[in-house]
Amino acid sequence: MQFEHVTCPHCGILCDDLTIEVNESSLKPLNVDHPHCIRGFTQSSFDSVKLPSAKVDGKNVSLDEAINKAVGVLQSSSQPLINGLIADVQACRKAIALTDKIGGVVDHANGKYMRANIAVMQRMGKVKTTLAEVRNRADHVIIFGAEVLDRFPRFLDRILSPEKSLGTENTTNKTITIIDSQAQQDVSKSFDQTNINYLRLDMPNLESIIQVLQSTIQSPDKVDEAESNITKTIKSVYTKIFDSQYTTIVWNTGLLNTDTAEQTVQAITLSIKELMKEIRCVGLPLGGSKGEITANQVATWQTGIPLPVAFMSGTPVHDPVLYDGSTMLENNEADSLLWLSTYSADDVPPETTIPTIVIGHPNMGISKQTTVFIPVGVPGIDNRGLACRTDSVATLPLQKIRNSDLPVASDVLNKINEML
Amino acid sequence: MAIKLTGGEIYDPAHQVDGKQQDLYIVDGKVLHELPDNEKITETHDLNGCIVMAGAIDLHTHIGGGKVNIARTMMLEDEHAHPHHGSHICRSGNGHVVPSTFSTGYRYAEMGYTACFEPAVLPVNARQAHMEMADTPMVDKGGYVLLGNDDFLLSMMQKNVSQSAINDYVAWILDASQCIGIKVVNAGGVHAFKYNQRRLDVDESGPAGITPRDIITKLSRAVHELGVPHPLHVHASNLGIPGNFKSTLATMTAADGLPIHLTHIQFHSYGTEGDYKFSSAACEIAEAINSQPNVTADVGQIMFGQTITTSGDTMMQYFGHEHAHPKKWTVMDIECEMGCGVIPFKYRDKSFVNALQWAIGLEIFLQVNDPWRVFLTTDHPNGAPFTSYPHLIKLLMNRSFRNDAFNIIHKDAQKMSNLVSMDREYSLYEIAIMTRAASAKILGLTSQGHLGQGASANITVYRKQDDVEQMFAKPTLVFKNGTLIVKDGAVIKTVKGITHVVKPEYDMGVEKSLTKYFDDYQTISLPNFKISTDEMIECIGNEVEVHPCTPK
Repeated sequence: MQFEHVTCPHCGILCDDLTIEVNESSLKPLNVDHPHCIRGFTQSSFDSVKLPSAKVDGKNVSLDEAINKAVGVLQSSSQPLINGLIADVQACRKAIALTDKIGGVVDHANGKYMRANIAVMQRMGKVKTTLAEVRNRADHVIIFGAEVLDRFPRFLDRILSPEKSLGTENTTNKTITIIDSQAQQDVSKSFDQTNINYLRLDMPNLESIIQVLQSTIQSPDKVDEAESNITKTIKSVYTKIFDSQYTTIVWNTGLLNTDTAEQTVQAITLSIKELMKEIRCVGLPLGGSKGEITANQVATWQTGIPLPVAFMSGTPVHDPVLYDGSTMLENNEADSLLWLSTYSADDVPPETTIPTIVIGHPNMGISKQTTVFIPVGVPGIDNRGLACRTDSVATLPLQKIRNSDLPVASDVLNKINEML
Repeated sequence: MAIKLTGGEIYDPAHQVDGKQQDLYIVDGKVLHELPDNEKITETHDLNGCIVMAGAIDLHTHIGGGKVNIARTMMLEDEHAHPHHGSHICRSGNGHVVPSTFSTGYRYAEMGYTACFEPAVLPVNARQAHMEMADTPMVDKGGYVLLGNDDFLLSMMQKNVSQSAINDYVAWILDASQCIGIKVVNAGGVHAFKYNQRRLDVDESGPAGITPRDIITKLSRAVHELGVPHPLHVHASNLGIPGNFKSTLATMTAADGLPIHLTHIQFHSYGTEGDYKFSSAACEIAEAINSQPNVTADVGQIMFGQTITTSGDTMMQYFGHEHAHPKKWTVMDIECEMGCGVIPFKYRDKSFVNALQWAIGLEIFLQVNDPWRVFLTTDHPNGAPFTSYPHLIKLLMNRSFRNDAFNIIHKDAQKMSNLVSMDREYSLYEIAIMTRAASAKILGLTSQGHLGQGASANITVYRKQDDVEQMFAKPTLVFKNGTLIVKDGAVIKTVKGITHVVKPEYDMGVEKSLTKYFDDYQTISLPNFKISTDEMIECIGNEVEVHPCTPK
């Protein structure tokens, strides 16, 4: 059986034009060719006769027994960490409700990649755009890091290379400036499109290049007698921005040094705000490949604050330093872990010695140390779901395209919550 | 099983009841005036010394959608400064200016509100707006979906398509986004801003060659002809600009005599007189409302203090960004549909402009003669958080309190306002009109906003006090569909509320051109763009009530 208009949650672009063939329990995308997109679905195939069972301490148990054990683990825990949140809106809602009730900490597996964009938003705000604006309005797109195009495999084809656009010839055939540093592999030969201008600058990293661009934007008239090739190249990018009607600057914090990502995003934001005094220029941070945009949106509306959120004081508190999920685990600051990970078998829980409950993808390989494993349906395959796109604006439905007897993650979380 | 409410003074303007002592019964979630023979009273509330009104309805409050989450993110300090503890029935939360969703629902209910309408639902963000509203308990919800800056409508108008084709598109977008009304924000201006145009007047053509007047004319006619109860909800051009009252008057006439609702009209009632080149045009605006029965307005009163402005109007938000406090601002272009701008503001009584804005709002309230055509809003959170409503009611009902407040604002602003000369004091009856009866009427909610036989038992009971601010801040009882949810100003039971929508009829043929548009230009397919009613219930978490439309 074939299903059309299927949404793919395996990167933040949330393409919704997939046709998936479902043959009993196996899945095959028919109209995408990137291995990442294909694997996103094929890895969820399973033998329906051998549906994975819930487990407690490695032994098969009934769902109720597994839920009972999970409740026991959480009740005997004084500082539980609810982590992963690689899930749809419905499961994230219930995971946050549960954390509110037990007074734990909730964070996303990709939390550290979200912090820079959130912190800059908190401190200075943003100038942003969305995918359809880029597709139709942008005549110039600057991408920091060619690897962005690997991480978001269909961004170039679907968004940046439209057959038609609402604008002019220049918005259909956009000028695409891709900027790499010496730290990145030279991929100049990967691009055969004439509208792509690949620049690999002799600088140590993307952060340095972004700083030079910011300096150029803030002081464009400063004459440098001994102008280097780098300065000349950046000035040419600057000139192109002014020659364009709608420049979009694209980045992915995952490609930036985590320690300095906040300053780098700040530099991009200040640059755009400076340019906005005269022309149109906008930012498009790409992210959300493990559902972190979804989880963060739900946390923000339910608690008023972004992830991570701690409920120990009885009210929700945001502190990205104190309550970063992975750091808490490294520092032994949590005494139990609930790992919610429903999209991919690859997103297994981090190694830890504390009691661990996994509400996870049915094909997930689970270590014997896992206290409770509850395999659940995959949102967008086994149950309907809702997901938020990288631009934090578009929200998409995830279809149910397969009948399976797997429980729904949000139902499992709700049941645990009710028993606590 | 009947609940008896006995001895209360009833204010039910929909039935011209002005403080009459009368018993009410609640049976099966409905209001009855007589106890049916087969019913037994299981609960009686002695309401002697109490005022009884229908549950209040806020017809313009930003409570859901991406812009609210941006505001929450930008107001972290405010969120943390106002923590809300949970309980065995309530979720915890944060925030005064833009509270978390659960807290928003609890606070509204604690003030006696039983329905709230989100006035800026972006079609592409409608799912999220509904998800946030589904997580806003206690009150019923509804949304106005944004049109008038979308490339699809502008291209239809460029092609000079028929009014009926536009009507079909308007009806389709209401259906697809599960909304109850159509809103237009700075018609054509948000689109023009994407082309770096920084201002657009009502009779000026934007980049698509269309004027804001054309857009208002077409959309107000579409809403009227489809029989959508709520008139076109209009955020006019030139928000915040001195002298903008002229474009506001021009916007009113763009409706060609058909119903039109001007929202947060205070922000659109400015003149250019005086040393500061900023003056009140409240008199001109109120006079225009008084003389044009097709026009309604909500005020968007400002209150002094910290807040944050969230608006679809990127053009005017960018214009105002230099006044941000704290100094931060967000502007977004959105999906060939709209945009949004989010800017924190601190209104100060010692600022000439802010003080005069405050006075202008009150001048409009006091000079519009018909309380059925002016609504009590602060454009939450843009003028002030919704929790300031009881204070605003006191300003309207108590002249000496109002004059005392006036006497401490910026002296030059005092000179530019004739507020003290206005001796009008709103009555309880008039407050009941502007916060209940008229809101329900203008939204087409026939079973709400009144206490007639068979009405939904959304009932708010206030214990009479000299200080009306205290009285309206803490109702003694609030019933939602017959369930007692608030006692002495605190939530005692949580309920979900439903979503009110309209589904005017349309020619499904409109999907042919829309499918092509989505396939050619959009990044979401048409089937996934549309929100079905079963998705609303099963996934988003909102029960839906469809209200009838009467095509003209």
